[in-house]
Amino acid sequence: MTTASSTLQSIFAVPFASVRLAQPDGLNLALAAGLNPLATPAQGDATLPTDPFCFRSREDLFEWQGEALSYLKQELLAGLCGVVRAANLYTEEQFRALGIQAKARFVIVRPNGCLPAGSLPHASWCAIYCVSAPDPNPLRPDSATLRLYSHRFGGMFLDSANWNLRQPFHFGHQLWHPIPGDMAVFPAWIPHEVALNRGDRDLMLIIARVRFADPRVEGQTLPPW
Amino acid sequence: MVSQAPMIRLSSGFAVPFGETFLTGHERLNRELEALFLARESEEYRNPTPSHTPQAETFESRFNLFKWPEPCVRELRDFVLSSVGQTALHASTAQAEELGKLTLHNHTWYHISRYAGSFVAHNHPLASWSAVYCVRAGERVPEHPGSGLLKFFDTRVGADSYLDPSTRRLKAPYALRPREVRLEAGQLVIFPSYVFHEVTPFYGRDTRITVATNCWFA
Repeated sequence: MTTASSTLQSIFAVPFASVRLAQPDGLNLALAAGLNPLATPAQGDATLPTDPFCFRSREDLFEWQGEALSYLKQELLAGLCGVVRAANLYTEEQFRALGIQAKARFVIVRPNGCLPAGSLPHASWCAIYCVSAPDPNPLRPDSATLRLYSHRFGGMFLDSANWNLRQPFHFGHQLWHPIPGDMAVFPAWIPHEVALNRGDRDLMLIIARVRFADPRVEGQTLPPW
Repeated sequence: MVSQAPMIRLSSGFAVPFGETFLTGHERLNRELEALFLARESEEYRNPTPSHTPQAETFESRFNLFKWPEPCVRELRDFVLSSVGQTALHASTAQAEELGKLTLHNHTWYHISRYAGSFVAHNHPLASWSAVYCVRAGERVPEHPGSGLLKFFDTRVGADSYLDPSTRRLKAPYALRPREVRLEAGQLVIFPSYVFHEVTPFYGRDTRITVATNCWFA
């Protein structure tokens, strides 16, 4: 009996990246100091249900003034562009010609709070940057994690050969542990949530939805946000 | 020339069947079930092989609840399984005699949730119909309107990636959002097992108690 030659590869894969911003400690201190006092109803997103354990600001954060916010916007979008560029077939020159649009909000998930599941319409990419996070708790491994939902229904039939598939093939949700200075980047259509924060400190995130337009394509228009 | 509005017939495509019923006179039964479940909230009766990261705030029993001999469990079993059978029959082109020849199998368990208890989004492989019965709804907390909801996720993943004013406010059953159910004591909801669903964090000061079942015909 001979061993057949085979190649195992992923198909229909979802791109996901974790990006570490350069020297984030000073940035995070400035962001936390500037944003924490703004977690008030006046700055909250009035279109969303009020939740005493999860503050969500308006989505115009990138239009707010401040050195730290300007720097974050620049670094966040640069990191995201690196991911998008890596996942696409554009040449460097072609990619540079694209216009980028982004909206962002800050989110504070307090102890015993969570960010409800959802996806982000009218955008192609989502970036979630961690400003501050509670300490990891080995007894609560999913506490305050970003959870990307499994969206494939092939898992409705399980047997001994597919219930324990290894990454990236298995059917379960995917967890990403927010660490201050790290940013997750993934397609905006993926349902995601922040699991319940079982720690004793707040989780502060910046969540951006981002899209690109090619100004050379005649008639290309994007819908209003 | 006068233009006439065209005749349009609007119908549902790719719909998800969703059954709902109430057990009349559930108060006595639920009292007995609650007492039994609380008395057995112990390691002996805990699910030894949880499918998701267990949360200390939510107790999950073994999946053999409907094999328990207690009269209150037998009574609930009859109500739940007959309701599942009726739902399957209503949603199917199969005749009652055909389904009647089959055995309705089940895995059934109960959950007791306390403050900040929740259950992550999941579906149920190797089953066709699932159902949740509410023994105790738990305290309603006005400042947490989303507390303890049974939330069903839209199976049309990505359908809300592009929204305009004509799709942002679609009415039921077309609306592009999760279906949220605030269970009441005695209520039973029945749905296809492939639908992802979760229990949102419960912020009541008491307990929220439900019975869940996965069913399949063979």
